[in-house]
Amino acid sequence: MNFQDIIFNLQKYWSDNGCIIKQPMDLEKGAGTFNPDTFLRCLGPEPWNVAYVEPSRRPTDGRYGENPFRTQFFYQFQVLLKPSPDDVIELYLGSLKSLGINLKLHDIRFVEDDWQSPTIGAVGLGWEVWVDGMEITQFTYFQQMGGLVLKPVSAEITYGLERIAMYLQDKDNFWDLKWSDDITYGELHLESEKQWSAYNFEVASVSMLLDLFKKYEDEFERVIDRGLIFVGCEYVLKCSHIFNLLDAREAISVAERTSYIARVRNLAKKLCSVYLKKREELGYPLLKKE
Amino acid sequence: MKKNLLFEIGTEELPPSCIREGVSGLKKILEDKLTENRLEFKDIQAYCSPRRLVAVVRGLGELQKSKIKTVTGPRLKAAFDKEGNFTRAAEGFARSLNMKVSDLEEIEIEGRGLYLGKRIIEKGGKAVDILPDILKGTILNLTFSKQMTWAGCDIKFARPIRWILALYDNEIIKFSIANLNSGNVTFGHRTLHPEPIAIKDAGSYFKLLQDKGKVIANDIKRKELILNQMGKLEEKVWKGNYRVILDENLLNDVVNLVEIPNTIVGNFPGEFLYIPKELLVEAIQHHQKYFAVLDKSGNVSTKFLIVQNGIRDNDEIKKGNEKVLKARLSDAAFFYEEDRKHDFNYWIDKLKGVIFFSNLGSMYDKALRLKKVSAYIAGLPAGSGPYEKDDVSSYLAAASMLCKCDLVTNMVVEFPALQGVVGRQYAREKGEKSEVSKAIFEHYFPRFAADILPSTDVGLILSIADKIDTITGMFLAGKMPSGSEDPFALRRKASGIVLSILKGKYDFDLTDLISYNQNLYQKSFDFRGINDLKISAEIKDFIIARYRFLLEKKGKRLDILESILGSGCCSILDIDLRYKAIEEFIGSEDIKKISFPMIRCKNIIDKKEFEEVDGELLEEEYEKRLFSSVNKKEKAIKDLMCKRDYASVLAELYEFGEIVDLFFDKVLVMDKDKKVRSNRVNLIKKAVDLYLILADFSRLTVESGSNV
Repeated sequence: MNFQDIIFNLQKYWSDNGCIIKQPMDLEKGAGTFNPDTFLRCLGPEPWNVAYVEPSRRPTDGRYGENPFRTQFFYQFQVLLKPSPDDVIELYLGSLKSLGINLKLHDIRFVEDDWQSPTIGAVGLGWEVWVDGMEITQFTYFQQMGGLVLKPVSAEITYGLERIAMYLQDKDNFWDLKWSDDITYGELHLESEKQWSAYNFEVASVSMLLDLFKKYEDEFERVIDRGLIFVGCEYVLKCSHIFNLLDAREAISVAERTSYIARVRNLAKKLCSVYLKKREELGYPLLKKE
Repeated sequence: MKKNLLFEIGTEELPPSCIREGVSGLKKILEDKLTENRLEFKDIQAYCSPRRLVAVVRGLGELQKSKIKTVTGPRLKAAFDKEGNFTRAAEGFARSLNMKVSDLEEIEIEGRGLYLGKRIIEKGGKAVDILPDILKGTILNLTFSKQMTWAGCDIKFARPIRWILALYDNEIIKFSIANLNSGNVTFGHRTLHPEPIAIKDAGSYFKLLQDKGKVIANDIKRKELILNQMGKLEEKVWKGNYRVILDENLLNDVVNLVEIPNTIVGNFPGEFLYIPKELLVEAIQHHQKYFAVLDKSGNVSTKFLIVQNGIRDNDEIKKGNEKVLKARLSDAAFFYEEDRKHDFNYWIDKLKGVIFFSNLGSMYDKALRLKKVSAYIAGLPAGSGPYEKDDVSSYLAAASMLCKCDLVTNMVVEFPALQGVVGRQYAREKGEKSEVSKAIFEHYFPRFAADILPSTDVGLILSIADKIDTITGMFLAGKMPSGSEDPFALRRKASGIVLSILKGKYDFDLTDLISYNQNLYQKSFDFRGINDLKISAEIKDFIIARYRFLLEKKGKRLDILESILGSGCCSILDIDLRYKAIEEFIGSEDIKKISFPMIRCKNIIDKKEFEEVDGELLEEEYEKRLFSSVNKKEKAIKDLMCKRDYASVLAELYEFGEIVDLFFDKVLVMDKDKKVRSNRVNLIKKAVDLYLILADFSRLTVESGSNV
């Protein structure tokens, strides 16, 4: 199954199972979780079922294209189900079937992997899902976001698309994956992976990044005070990404690291509580729809 | 009639640590609740797998045991009038119980006297009526160190509960919790048999679940099965040429990662074998929970074991896992190669950016303190420690700076369990002396309660210094353990200090060392409002408390320890030597001959200020004898103390006791002449001080300890 067909299949499967299919957000981010369709929508009582592809960046994971499956850029397929359905695992296993994985022939495991993202004050419990030892999915029951306790709880399912493709196509690394019948993942991404690795680790201007971090942080405060929540959200994400770049450049000491994380978290907390307040003011529109 | 109760909490995949908490909690809570509710049973066993916690209660009675309830009314005196007839109070009480007064009886309430009352036998209810509350309560009372909620539920559990099976022989115990109704249905293996399985009778559960559901719910059986599968490979397939590294923690985790184990062999490319053994083994075990395999000469082989969840006959699973391990190893190799590009100076510099603890500076600061504290221990005037070699000092200086370096290596960041191991490896590779590389590894010892101690002086001293420094820092930061809370394992560290001191025979005053260490902190960091002396005394007491705990565990007499502490002795080694001497003395002599005279002396002392004894004022023979004896003994005992010859000190004190006794028998301390009396008390104080050089013998419990 080609890479793009995996996406088509998952979109079809989750759409058949009650999710709306959204498109990625046009901003750098470390994971699909940071997309406001998860980050913000998991807050509050309104039901929300969504699925989307999220191109993701983790600068410190770059390996100049030399590691078979550790890269600074990759695609996630993100599903958020709120409230978490009772048969959520069966639903998930159904999606693997839709990808042609014969569950009886393979070793599927749910291995404890509790997840925290200190930068956005998020806490969740769940698993990484292994197929024959290969981690292909992160499965998380969100407990907190922006430091706020969540009720109801959402289930987040995050597929590592490259890993699933490696598995399905029996390839040893990302680069040989078939994106379509005619073109490989490597042809599309290897060169940029090398360039970004070099940039993230060696070239990125630390002074520019430090400067931007401060400016974005200030801009967040300016816009959030005007109630521009979705604009504010983007500045939180920008700060988070810049922090990751600084981290890759080893530009911040451990002591400073803690304080940078705290700074981003404070933005995230503020954002989440303002968002919740706003939804309440609006009378939780999606709740009424039900 | 007795029946069996089967109780299964079906869940989504529980983490191994939660399974362990859950299975012991389930047994304990259920046992307590049944007992509380007076339900008799033969035994309770609890079992587990990733998707279920199971309790089986055998021989559970159908009825609660009956209970006698005592009700009391008026005092007996108030129950009868002068003529001996029941009073209105008594009649009223009987009415309230729907009884005749003549049915009532005398009841004595301890300490309050006799009352009119009745012992009523309450017949027990039926087990089936009480069990729903018991089982529901058991789920609610189960707690885990990490808990969660799901959907809109209000209850917390380790992972979501998806079904509940509760059978009393063949009868369903019905209750509801978290939007679930209990029933007689369980589920088999997640993918090999996902369909529900109805259980008709509690007794058929395990067999049906295994035969039909492909699940072995008994964890002990799963463990045995894995060991058997490994044993077969070693003997039959490998014919003794290879053996599995059986890491107990890993095995226990793997047992609880599968519902039915199936061990298969994979291979990885030989190109990774150059990675040092311990690093390679950790890379195999850590993320993927594989088992590493050694060849005949003890080197890591390219074989590894996968314990898969379920029996399936195909090559895909092996191939998939091989691919994953190859990638993991290429990651480990990448980290190892990256690390090899650097030297210790680079890492030492990086330590400046690693926080030891908030407000306590960096790991680099800690390394600098370790250098000083370990030199302090090693450089103390020679007591009995075998450390008077110049080399030890230079090794310690090097090891102090290097021992925390591996914390900033890629390898330890990726595999935290390798701290110390990586440091030792890299120190070897960089040509450090073996004493230094060994100490880097061993300074973490003891890592858990029954762990080994460092094997060399360098390791022992560095280990003591590291732990003293951490404890001192944490106390300064206000993070001392309280109750059962000890997040930084300071108690274990304190025990480690005591054991290492005793092993290396280092003789130093704990308070002095703590003050020295404390000063190093206070020179660099601000601890406003800290009372220096109070903190150092608290730290000393904290460490002594661990020594007391270790003695107690060995069944040793704590009164001996208290008596030694009463002398103000602050060296663990010295306390230990004195303890042994006193213990031995008690085994052969009558310690009362020392302790009683001392107690007699102490009882007389009625003032706080003392002067020198005035020889001119001494009149009577036996006080003169006591005076000259005190002086002679004092000199002799001080000499013996220097030699740590405590047996002879005890012999001296034993002799001295006779002189004290004679003094008390012949001399009246309370003389009419105030001056004479005061002088005698001064003399007695001198005698007390003589005893106190070794110990405060008045604190000994002689009744139990005496051999008379």
